[in-house]
Amino acid sequence: MIRLEEVSLRYGEGPQVLRRVGCHLEPGSFHYLLGASGAGKSSLLKLLYLAQRPSDGRVSLFGRDVARLTRRDRALMRRRIGVVFQDFRLIAHLSAFENVALPLRIAGEPEHRVRSQVSELLSWVGLKEAMEALPPTLSGGQQQRVAIARAVIGRPSLLLADEPTGNVDDRIATRLLYLFRELNRTGTTILLATHNEALAARMPQPRLRLVEGKLKEEPADTPPAEPAAPIPTEATGAGAR
Amino acid sequence: MRRFGFLFAAGEVPLARDASARFLPWLIAFMVYLAALALLAAVAMDAMAARWQGDLQGRLTVQVPAPGDPTNAQARQARLDRTVEALLQTPAVIEVEVLARGQTASLLEPWLGEAARAPELPVPDLIAVTLRRADAGLGDLAQRLEAAVPGATLDDHQRWLARLFALAGSIELLAFLVVALVGAAAIATVIFVTRTGLAIHRQVIELLHVMGARDLYVAEQFQGHALRLGLAGGLLGAAAATLTVLGVAWLLRGEQSLLLPSIRLGWLAWALLIALPPVTGLVAMLTARWTVLRTLARLP
Ligand SMILES: Nc1ncnc2c1ncn2[C@@H]1O[C@H](COP(=O)(O)OP(=O)(O)OP(=O)(O)O)[C@@H](O)[C@H]1O
Ligand SMILES: [Mg+2]
Repeated sequence: MIRLEEVSLRYGEGPQVLRRVGCHLEPGSFHYLLGASGAGKSSLLKLLYLAQRPSDGRVSLFGRDVARLTRRDRALMRRRIGVVFQDFRLIAHLSAFENVALPLRIAGEPEHRVRSQVSELLSWVGLKEAMEALPPTLSGGQQQRVAIARAVIGRPSLLLADEPTGNVDDRIATRLLYLFRELNRTGTTILLATHNEALAARMPQPRLRLVEGKLKEEPADTPPAEPAAPIPTEATGAGAR
Repeated sequence: MRRFGFLFAAGEVPLARDASARFLPWLIAFMVYLAALALLAAVAMDAMAARWQGDLQGRLTVQVPAPGDPTNAQARQARLDRTVEALLQTPAVIEVEVLARGQTASLLEPWLGEAARAPELPVPDLIAVTLRRADAGLGDLAQRLEAAVPGATLDDHQRWLARLFALAGSIELLAFLVVALVGAAAIATVIFVTRTGLAIHRQVIELLHVMGARDLYVAEQFQGHALRLGLAGGLLGAAAATLTVLGVAWLLRGEQSLLLPSIRLGWLAWALLIALPPVTGLVAMLTARWTVLRTLARLP
């Protein structure tokens, strides 16, 4: 599903964010992407949702080298990827409903299907009443749920979520984790970036950890770092290639 | 139907709220107004030249100089008779009309006033000649006329027509230059406005891109917007030009002048006025589309 080979990333003349990173995620898998703030989690996801080209190395998605796709195929591939952005990126002048409807509109779904699917999903994430509200009038947690609904409305094969529980209380965070697990059970491959070790511990899944530009794989049963402890200086059970 | 949805749909990029939506139609209207007036001038000039050519084709004017004593009616008549005879011997000539002294005088009256009618004035006599065909050969008519009455000249109006056509040609050239410049300015404005729109709405556009929107999906929103603004501007400009011409025609009503181009809107003028708004809209639309596609091609 996702294969990175010797991938490096550097923004302009800035420091090297990713250094010859490699990994392989199977279809249907669910990984956490952990790492301290500034470790490069969002940058790695950007490579995966094709918003950024790597400075070096090869990114393959759905078994295809993305650098060799035509522009049209890249657009079609993006439609199979749902993204929850760290900063939500909701369109401020469009209602919650219209924001969630975007991926369906882009895919050219007929209007009646858009209506029913969007209403259903928004009710499901508890935003039935807020459907016509503009994002700036919603709370942070409500905006986050709109962003998540938008990421999953198109039934993506791959879901990339960047701190999707950053703005909600523990109870809703747990609910969202269960939502992601449900999606994963129906076949969606998930990569969830967070710096919240405690959250990752609540529902164990295999982890990828970014440290100093390198990516290390840790199996799901790795003992979690102490929830309240500072970020470990040394990653345990390194399974990096 | 879906394919042309962009004509009406607003889309996710809120272009209608941009400042451009307010000023662009007026700017385009002004440019279309200038272009329309230039085009109408060219069309009028062309029509006038064509009218003159139609009137003068197949016609000659022969000038017979007055005799030494302009008051000597007999000598005058004899010279005219010899000239007419020479003309009638020419196969291409089908009609000859000697302009009466009074007619010639009235041609001069605007310049000379009452004096134009004075018999002692050495005014040449004029003979209007109609040819069988416009391009009929005249043989050695010029020499025979000279032999009949020394100093008699043949004017086939070609020199006057040639100058008229040269004038009409330069006015047309000027008009096309104006249209080209105005068109280039309008296109540059649309490009600039589109680029500004792309910059203002960069976040929304990048989001659509990341969600898998084809470049056309975004381009259609911009081109629909540009088409609406271009149409509005074109309609305003063409309407203003029509009103201007009709207004001038109304002010000059009753003025008869051979030299002024006719201030009426012929079918060609109307066709131009009607075609201008859709053409403007189309040019604005294609320009916006091209600009967006070119800019978006830089996204990964
Ligand atoms: N567009 C950009 N241009 C230049 N540098 C960038 C850009 N985006 C990120 N960076 C740099 O890349 C590094 C990694 O940033 P990134 O956002 O990927 O970290 P992160 O792991 O997502 O952090 P956080 O947990 O705080 O979200 C940072 O040093 C950041 O300054
Ligand atoms: Mg981040």
